[in-house]
Amino acid sequence: MISNALSLMIAIPLLGAVVSFFAGSKAKFVALLASLAPLALALQMYSEFDKTSKIMQFVESYNWVPSIGVKYTVGVDGIGFPLVLLSAIVSVLVIIYSWGETKKPNQYFALLLLNEVGVLGVFTSLDFFLFYIFWEVVLIPMFFLIGSWGGPRKDYAAIKFFIYTHVASLVMLLAIFALYFTYQNPDETRTFDMLTLLAATANKTIFPTSLLNIIFAGLLLGFLVKMPAFPFHTWLPDAHVEAPTAGSVVLAALLLKMGGYGLFRVIMPMLPSVDKAFVTIIAVIAVISIVYGAFMALAQKDIKKLVAYSSVSHMGFVTLGAVAFTWMSVTGAMFQQFSHGIITCVLFMSAGTIQHVVGTRVIADLGGLADRMPKFAVLMMAGFMASLGLPGMSGFVAEFMVLTGSYATLPTYTIIVVFLSVASTAAYHLWAMQKAMFGPILKKYMNVHDPHNYELFSMAMIIVLALVFGIQPGLMTDIMGTAATQLMEPVKTLTQMGVI
Amino acid sequence: MDFTHYAPLWGEALLTILAVLIVLLGSLMKNSGKLMGYLSAAGLVAALGLVASNLTLKPALFFFDTISVDALSQFFKAVFLVVSLLVVIASLSKYTGKGADEYYALVLFATVGMMVVSSSIDIVTLFVGFELASLSTYALAAFDRTKKNLEAAMKYFIFGSVASAFMLFGFSLLYGMTGSTRLADIAVASLADFGPATLVALLFVIVGFAFKMALVPFHMWAPDTYEGAPPLVSALLAAGSKKMGFAAAFRVIIIALVALRMEWYLAFAILASLTMTLGNLAACWQNNVRRILAYSSIAQAGYIAIAFVVVGAAYGADPVNVLNLGMLPADQLGIAGALLLILGHALMKTGAFIGTAQVASNVSKESDTDPDDISNYAGLAKRAPITAFCMLIFMFALAGIPPTAGFVGKFVLFSSAIYSGLVWLAVLAILNSALSLVYYLKIISYMYLKEPTGSKMPEKNGYVVALVLTMLAVVWIGVFPEQFVNWALQAAAVLLPQ
Repeated sequence: MISNALSLMIAIPLLGAVVSFFAGSKAKFVALLASLAPLALALQMYSEFDKTSKIMQFVESYNWVPSIGVKYTVGVDGIGFPLVLLSAIVSVLVIIYSWGETKKPNQYFALLLLNEVGVLGVFTSLDFFLFYIFWEVVLIPMFFLIGSWGGPRKDYAAIKFFIYTHVASLVMLLAIFALYFTYQNPDETRTFDMLTLLAATANKTIFPTSLLNIIFAGLLLGFLVKMPAFPFHTWLPDAHVEAPTAGSVVLAALLLKMGGYGLFRVIMPMLPSVDKAFVTIIAVIAVISIVYGAFMALAQKDIKKLVAYSSVSHMGFVTLGAVAFTWMSVTGAMFQQFSHGIITCVLFMSAGTIQHVVGTRVIADLGGLADRMPKFAVLMMAGFMASLGLPGMSGFVAEFMVLTGSYATLPTYTIIVVFLSVASTAAYHLWAMQKAMFGPILKKYMNVHDPHNYELFSMAMIIVLALVFGIQPGLMTDIMGTAATQLMEPVKTLTQMGVI
Repeated sequence: MDFTHYAPLWGEALLTILAVLIVLLGSLMKNSGKLMGYLSAAGLVAALGLVASNLTLKPALFFFDTISVDALSQFFKAVFLVVSLLVVIASLSKYTGKGADEYYALVLFATVGMMVVSSSIDIVTLFVGFELASLSTYALAAFDRTKKNLEAAMKYFIFGSVASAFMLFGFSLLYGMTGSTRLADIAVASLADFGPATLVALLFVIVGFAFKMALVPFHMWAPDTYEGAPPLVSALLAAGSKKMGFAAAFRVIIIALVALRMEWYLAFAILASLTMTLGNLAACWQNNVRRILAYSSIAQAGYIAIAFVVVGAAYGADPVNVLNLGMLPADQLGIAGALLLILGHALMKTGAFIGTAQVASNVSKESDTDPDDISNYAGLAKRAPITAFCMLIFMFALAGIPPTAGFVGKFVLFSSAIYSGLVWLAVLAILNSALSLVYYLKIISYMYLKEPTGSKMPEKNGYVVALVLTMLAVVWIGVFPEQFVNWALQAAAVLLPQ
């Protein structure tokens, strides 16, 4: 067992980012090495991970600023670890996919690594202060990725992305301060320790419900904007449309997961102690996100925007599963985070490849590309199938678990989702696929050909993963299930909470 | 006569002698600008060493109890010396020719003035120090003798004189009522009995200081002056002379006028809220980088003024367990937060203005348009990578993003507002920090996202050294805030009853 594995995982890409910045055209090799190391560490940790343990594992804790109670504490459990693994996998694949980047490659790969540092930090921090720092760190590389390598409206999109999510983070920060300033340790010291503060929120004498409601709302807003959930999703389509492909992939696969992670880590432990109306509010937001995202995707002309809206829809399942508060739905929601993280990569990579091979992403202008790009078409098709929930792929398992689990406690909402979204989800995926890839080939596309092998390789790896986790979901759900049991422990069901 | 008795004041003495020497030598030697610059830098380093050697000593009184050397004075002196030193280092790349000796002498005189102010516990001494610093900076503001310089200096001079007049009138009323010029005596006398005249005195003093600190609505001079003065002088004005206003205001208002704390509590609650909000809003509409920085500096003064509100609300409050610093009264935490923000802001602003100086020095050669226009910052990351990177850090630090000095100061200060029951003020301040990001981001996006409009800029050594040093300090304070927080708390204790 490697000691300090988590710190190493954060430190290596950070070092890699600095080295690649100065490595010029060799940056991609540095970046690949620096991202393979965390993956190796994550796999090593997976083999050592105690799937039945309910406590934090691989914990490291050092004093940082004792005078205000800030510690450097990292650790993972069933909520965080799958996302750590996801971040490590996606970072490697996205670097391979971007192998041919020629515009300022040193900065490009440095920013991708910096992004990895940020998300790994968010998923492992157990100190609110540290958590907030990493949360903000993530914004900076993404801002530059969109702003420097983006499309025609990149400046607008980058600034909108930054300000929108930064304002949400500040609201979250206010809520964190409220937690911090309300709770005192038994020895009258203050702490930013996440688990201590979250456990304390159950104590009504320290956190009266009226205060906790406000804190809860602040935190919830921070996470819902990041997810993003309706009506806070408007930054996402702009950011995605303008971002370079790698930026979009990281944004959808990892950054959105930070919001979902917050739901499990922070929101769910507080849910039993706050006003019951929140359950309804969150459930409504989840359902609208799922349905609205699907219908908006149906209406898009740009294939990348379609994928962006499909993210809104799919992330709605995470919210729904979390708030339905059954073991099945919560486990399914966590699995949906992981599964969507993988599958969305292939979708955005497809959109990116079409853009740079054909020169447009407008679905109406495409047609018959499968004829000239057979390998790509197979992979893209597999990705779209995985995304629409084809049985045998991981997305199906996750959404099935969420819907089955939610039906027990939130039947009306679940039925609305099933009726309104399942068919439209299938429709927009199939329609886009059919229109863009199949049918007679347009004359102007006679000269297009399959993309580079490194792009195909990244996509293929993701399809393999989606299949592996679709057929053998237990690889992940065992870990997540323990975490879900742990989350359900204080209050077993929504009935006990008095919601239904 | 025992000179070692005056050891705590050797720093001031050294700089005064050095400044006089530079004026003398400058008139004898020709083209000695560079030498004078190095001499000044060495003198400032030595003075900084002298100040640093006794940072937290017991208060020592000198010159018939008009000068006090204590933790607070040492804190401010350290800030002023660091700012002057950075400005001088940067100036080594600009002021080398004829007349440079006068420039360095004026910088040193201004620094001495600021140091005297930070030690003064007597209103006359304080005023003398104030005027020494002000007069030197009036001259500095016009130093390049361009039309813009002269306009800026004129404006600065007129507003500065009006502020001094207000202040002096307030002081004279205080003296008339209490019969003493010493702050401690004024405090005792006005506590014993204060009438309507004391209120008038308070009003004049607050208006005088508000001009110096550039609080809204007394801020109009600041954007014009910071924009028009030579950029390195703007750094000295925003980071040094403006902070001197706070050094003076802390002593006069919190010590001498403590009897009227409910009155100034209200006044500063209004001034602070107005200043930070209007400062930030106005900055969003500017297209001149130095004007943006000026308005950002106004907004920061609004944050710092929160300390007065906190002290007014929590003066003499029982110590509570704040953060993990042990039992402390909230007012001490408030002043400590303000001091940390003063330290952080002084560094960030010095750095940012030196950055604009770097850009302006290259741009003004190329064209006769406004060298500080934001369009000149397009693609700065490619044209001047070191400057752009340092500016990037300063912008994030000014916005209060951790882990930087800007965050530490804001965190402690806003916490103190929460501890003294001013949650609304803390929330307003945090929302303002979010708003400020709009214009900092504008500068960043020009530097990093726009395509460059010109060729690569030669980055001058002096500027680069000053920028990198400042940047390292800003990050250092942010990552290891512990010792700075303790230092600021000790300094803050000086102002409060023991």
